[in-house]
Amino acid sequence: MFSYYLKLALKSVRRTPILSALMVMALGLGIGAFMTTFTVYYLMSGDPIPHKSDQLYAVQLDNWDPNSPPTQSAKDIQPQLTYVDAEYLMHAATPASNQAAMYRTGAIVEPEGDDQAPFDGNTRATYHSFFAMFDVPFLYGKPWDMQADDRRERVVVLSRAMNQELFGGENSVGRSVKMNETAFRVIGVMDDWRPTPRFYHVDSGGVFSDAEDFYIPLKAATDLVLQPRGNVNCWLPPDGPGLEAFLRSECVWLQFWAELSDEHEASEYKQFLDNYVRSQKDIGRFPRPLATFISPVMDWLDIQEVVSRDNRVLVRVAFLFLLVCVLNTVGLLLAKFLGKGPEIALRRAMGASKNDVFSQNLVEVCAIGILGGVLGIGLAWLGLQLIEKLYRGYQHLVYLDGGMLLTALALAVTSSILAGVYPVWRVARLTPAGFLKTQ
Amino acid sequence: MEIRPILNALLRNKIGPLLIALQIALTLAIVTNSAFIIKERSDYVALPSGLDEANTIIAVTTDFGINLDSKQLLQDDLNHINAMPGVVAAFVSHSIPVSGSGNGQSYAPERDTPSNETISFGNFSGDERALEALDLELVAGRNFRPEEISWRTLDEDPPRKAVLVSQALADALFPDKNAVGQLVWEDRTTPEPSEIIGVYDHMQNAWPSSSFVNRTSIQPFRDISSQDRHFIVRTHPGERDQVLTALEEYFSAERGRMVALIRTFEEQKQRTYSDDIAMVKLLTGVVIILTVITALGIVGLAWFSVTQRRKQIGTRRALGATRLDIMRHFMLENWLITTIGLVLGVVGALALNWFMDTQYQTGRMPLFYLPIGVIMLWLLGQLAVLAPARRAAGIPPALATRSV
Repeated sequence: MFSYYLKLALKSVRRTPILSALMVMALGLGIGAFMTTFTVYYLMSGDPIPHKSDQLYAVQLDNWDPNSPPTQSAKDIQPQLTYVDAEYLMHAATPASNQAAMYRTGAIVEPEGDDQAPFDGNTRATYHSFFAMFDVPFLYGKPWDMQADDRRERVVVLSRAMNQELFGGENSVGRSVKMNETAFRVIGVMDDWRPTPRFYHVDSGGVFSDAEDFYIPLKAATDLVLQPRGNVNCWLPPDGPGLEAFLRSECVWLQFWAELSDEHEASEYKQFLDNYVRSQKDIGRFPRPLATFISPVMDWLDIQEVVSRDNRVLVRVAFLFLLVCVLNTVGLLLAKFLGKGPEIALRRAMGASKNDVFSQNLVEVCAIGILGGVLGIGLAWLGLQLIEKLYRGYQHLVYLDGGMLLTALALAVTSSILAGVYPVWRVARLTPAGFLKTQ
Repeated sequence: MEIRPILNALLRNKIGPLLIALQIALTLAIVTNSAFIIKERSDYVALPSGLDEANTIIAVTTDFGINLDSKQLLQDDLNHINAMPGVVAAFVSHSIPVSGSGNGQSYAPERDTPSNETISFGNFSGDERALEALDLELVAGRNFRPEEISWRTLDEDPPRKAVLVSQALADALFPDKNAVGQLVWEDRTTPEPSEIIGVYDHMQNAWPSSSFVNRTSIQPFRDISSQDRHFIVRTHPGERDQVLTALEEYFSAERGRMVALIRTFEEQKQRTYSDDIAMVKLLTGVVIILTVITALGIVGLAWFSVTQRRKQIGTRRALGATRLDIMRHFMLENWLITTIGLVLGVVGALALNWFMDTQYQTGRMPLFYLPIGVIMLWLLGQLAVLAPARRAAGIPPALATRSV
């Protein structure tokens, strides 16, 4: 029965090729536009580290200018810490099972061999706990340990891609990389690791681009005076030139994360931060009313507005656009089916029930929906290519995964059924007699 | 003309026209709101930076050689580049206008000004060639003298005794008096104030979206405290691309430093504004496709309704209606439907703008977008219905006599 209906549907589609093409196109464009913007939104708002995003907390301390407006929420204060505070927390006996301070920097890397040009290596300076806390997978070797941090050792962990580039992908543990004319020993190579968005450092510098290629101990980085590449904000400028003055200043430039396994630990940690700030107030720091915040990953992404407003606007606009396309399809289907009145009347006269007519036409509607969906997926794919061209650093936001493909098809069939129900019902209710007379 | 029969005909078959009206309403809401955002963003992108945009090159180099004499190298660089054929002027700064990353500071007109009353601005290190390289016009005071230019190193940060400020910064600091000759304090820890020696017309800071985008200052030093040098090179018209190639060659000749980036200022501007440019392009695409789809929808439904009413049309023709009468009927019918849609659409457009503004701070749409949108959709409707109406007009009166 179904295959017969399908045959009928295809026949009917072929009989009115322009009208059918118009419907498929309208549905396809609507779905393509919506899926393009929605995919970007979906990937932007994704959980970068699903299995422990509720245990990782960004830390904020309000060390700012006493004259700036009062702090009401985590949005109102600086997202980063001073070196003084980050260092204190790293070495204090806090309730956190893991903690890491970090900053983005860069060093000029000179590959071995004279034929390769030096390049600017995207580097993250951090502590050994970074890797355990964020569950970074390793291909070769392992992270450095606490002693390496303390001894300011010049060791480096490479991304898999960088290991491929520098060492042809072989096990490079123990080999040496020249960064700013200083030898760093490779201690480990990461496996593919691409948290999207790159939650641990959310600023304008490409939240959706690749993670860094080089990871080195923070003290080794400051020893080489590797300057931060992210935002540096100071309400009081350093009290003099040079690195030492910068490190003891009130400038914030370090991201700080803590792993807290449950609510209890989180509240203890918060308490710990509050006590620390109180003790600092006694020596004249933290002139503002006490405010500390710890925010788990997903809250943090929300606070830092990682999903751009433009994208949210585009998703809404694309949804309305899809609505217009559906309305358009309803109109066209109505036209088409009412045009089929005589044929349907004939079927009814030959004994087809209202239900038969209804399901026959519904199959046709679904066929149009599926065609529209397939076109829509194609257009969404093109749309995502366009998005990648238009925006910088979106290369990981422009793929359609299985879930998105299914969503697109489901959306197509749902919209076509929504579009088709009224026309199909309407045409099934036609009284055959009126049409038969005129034939 | 005879609206009543058209209305009667419409009311007999409500759902088709209603669909068109709804489509028109949504289209108006989307198109006006999109046009508003497109206009805002285009204006924002078109704001002048103050530089000679078409003839400027920016380059960032990084010194990494441990034994490199950065100071000597920079001096040689500046001498060399300024002597290159095609170059008007070149200097080195610690930030680049409109690049998205730079240095910010604040000035206070009095030493004891509380920090929330100081004036924020973007600062640029420079020398006596900066004004010419940036294509800035001195409106008051004088330029730097070569002997006023100091060097900022990792261990030394000499005070800035003389500074240049933009007109916008001068106005913000000293609204009621001539800024030239006035003293400003960088912050409470600096022992010495700086003297404003000159005011230039206009230059944007590094962050176009900042609230103080037009407040800038040029300070007389060359910064070698970090590894990066930001060169700004202005060329004679038409010689930019040759100079860029020559610069690339020159920079890469020195071992121990590398070129982090070199590009035209126009390209940098495109990059900085890429999100806004993308928004403009995407929304323009939406507006165009949506208009086409709505028009095709109108054509489709009108075509169908002509087919359905062939006999009535034939009858009317047989009873004496002219071709023009028939055309007028369909045009007027479409106009009525469109108008109903537009009334709904005006409400929808305002509601959508209210939603977008409260949720995403897109701003309040000026009302003049509505009449423009209404007129355009009226025209669109009439254009779309033209072909079906002509087809209707072509139906012969003889049809009325057939097959009844």
